[in-house]
Parts: sequence; C-alpha cells; structure tokens
Amino acid sequence: MMDLSAEVIRTLDDVLGLGGRSGTFSRATPLLGAVPELDSMAVVALMAALEDRLGVSFPDDEVDGATFATVGSLVDFVAARAGA
Amino acid sequence: MPDAVEAATVQPPPTPFFLPAGRRGRRFAIHHAPARRAARSAIVYLHPLAEEMNKSRRMAALAARALAADGHAVLQVDLYGCGDSEGDFAEAGWDDWVDDALAAMRWLQQSAPAAPVFWGLRAGCLVAAQAACAAPAPSALALWQPPLDGRTVLQQFLRVGAAARFGAGTVKEYLAEARQSLAGGREVEIAGYRLGRRLADGIEASRLAPCAGIRRVHWFELSMRPEAALPPASTAAIAAWTDAGVAVDAQLIAGPAFWQSAEIVDVPALVAATVHGLGDGDPA
Repeated sequence: MMDLSAEVIRTLDDVLGLGGRSGTFSRATPLLGAVPELDSMAVVALMAALEDRLGVSFPDDEVDGATFATVGSLVDFVAARAGA
Repeated sequence: MPDAVEAATVQPPPTPFFLPAGRRGRRFAIHHAPARRAARSAIVYLHPLAEEMNKSRRMAALAARALAADGHAVLQVDLYGCGDSEGDFAEAGWDDWVDDALAAMRWLQQSAPAAPVFWGLRAGCLVAAQAACAAPAPSALALWQPPLDGRTVLQQFLRVGAAARFGAGTVKEYLAEARQSLAGGREVEIAGYRLGRRLADGIEASRLAPCAGIRRVHWFELSMRPEAALPPASTAAIAAWTDAGVAVDAQLIAGPAFWQSAEIVDVPALVAATVHGLGDGDPA
C-alpha cells in the first residue's frame, strides 16, 4: 500500500509537471480544485497514466469528482482496483 | 550531408499567410523555407486536437524551424475550424482535414518539389496517415506520439468534457449523454470546443494503417520513466507496418507529454531526433 501511494504521487508529479512539489503531499492533500495544474485535460491524462503504470482501470461508471478530491481518495480508488 | 556548393545561407524567417482552400475558405499556414536552394523534402505538419494544439504550438514551431535549418521545406497548416483558419470547429469534418493536408502539400510542392512527408502530432498523425494514403505520390510519415486508433482519441476527448463537469455525475453518465447528443446530430461542448457529429464520427473511424502510398514511417513516442519501452500496442502496430513492407524507425524519447502539460515545456531531444531521423539516408 505504501508503494502504491508513492507510485500514485510520483505519477501525479510527472503528469502535472509538479517538479517535485508532490514531496509535500499526504493523504489529506486536496487535488481537484486545489492543484491548478489538475485541469480537465490533466485529469484524463492522469487516468491514462495510472492505467498504464499500475494496470488499474478507471471504469467510467465508477469515476466522478470524488475520486480526485484528495490524494487519499485517489490512492484508495486505485488500491481497490490495481494489479491487473 | 553538407553541400559544399551551397553557401551557408541565412535562414529565412517563417512566413505566415493564408492558403486558399477552394470554396471552403482559407487556412492559416506558416511556411518555413529551407536554408538551402533545393529542399531535401517537403514536410506538412498536422496539429493535434483542441487544447493539445495550443499547448504544442511552441514545440511544433521549434521543430519546424530546426527542420528548415536542416534543408527541408516545412508548412504548418491550421485545419478547417482550428486555430486561425476559417471555418467553425463545430462544422468541421474529418475529410475536410485530410483535404486540407493534401492542399497544403500541393502548395508546398510548388516551391519544393521534393519527397513529401506528412508529419503529425497525436490526432494529427491520423490525418497525416490518411492524407499520405490519398496523396498522388508516395510519401513518408513522421509521427509524434501516434494514437493507433481514432476511437481512443474520441474517448479521451469526451472524457475531457466529463472531467470539466465533475461534480454533476459520473463520467459514464456524461459519456452516455454526449454520445446520445452526437447521435441525434446535436453538438457537444467540451471544455470550450463544440464537437459536431460529423467530426466525432470521422475521428472515431480513423485508423493508423499501412497503405501503398506510404514508404517510410518515423515513429516517436515520449515517456517520463527512464526504464520505459514502447508500449506493447505500439510495438505490435509497428510490426504490422513492417510486415506490410514499410520501413519504420521507432524511438522512445525521454520527456514530458508537452501537448497536455499545464505549463509550456520544450523537449529538445524530440526536435533533435526528428531532424536526425528525417535527415537520414533515403528521403522517401
């Protein structure tokens, strides 16, 4: 679970071009609406990157805004579906 | 290969102009004349969709300029309804875009009757491939991060629309509504872009597939991960092209997906690899 969380955060950093800012991220860190780089294009790119790196799928009927509310909500979503 | 007879010329600046596209209006284009008397190839650049076009302008300009400096004639063209071209994005059709690519190449060949190359980024790769297949002479393709299939492109574009509306239901609900609207001939608004049925259908039907008109493909993908390799789907597609008798050189470049990054970033390694690839050996 620790590795998964680190991988999610690393993917966030890469996709959003945070340049290491994610080093301060914790489960409680708000994402959607709080991180300016996370616009609608970035959300789609993030899903594609997580799908590609972690073998997780983001089924359309399970994804909504709450998925990306915080680092924790995203990690939980991925953890529940990772490891294809 | 440097030509000793060609004196080192000052590279002409890029020239913006409007290219006539018949009864369908004019297209904004930028011509990069080659830094030598006879162009080594004639390259038409096809941009990606919507916001990706805006985010990648700088990289396209850098590469176009570098290619021209290396002796190629390059024409960047804004497709119907995109950028500074005439037309309404909501009324665009995929076939219009392929026609634009062909018109651009005809224009470029007037001053640079050299080996044609259709160069695309993302969805532009699909336009490039279809144009090359329809072109009167055999061409080469230069593909930056090619999608294998227009269905993925449309799906990703619709997902952007869903993400822009987060809070009002799931992605699935939005996608179902969007597809229903499109099927009913109604436009769908995606992060400021109005997508019409004609274009959606055209994007969805497009494929990256070999044909008699394509001799050579230069394939470039990017990855931020140092240990990455080309995705299996790309490797399989490349094998299919090779089996069909097309010469393919494929490279993975370390760098960010500049067409979608929040801040404008440069990937000089991709520019260098493209110049090197297109300058290598047999032009067609």
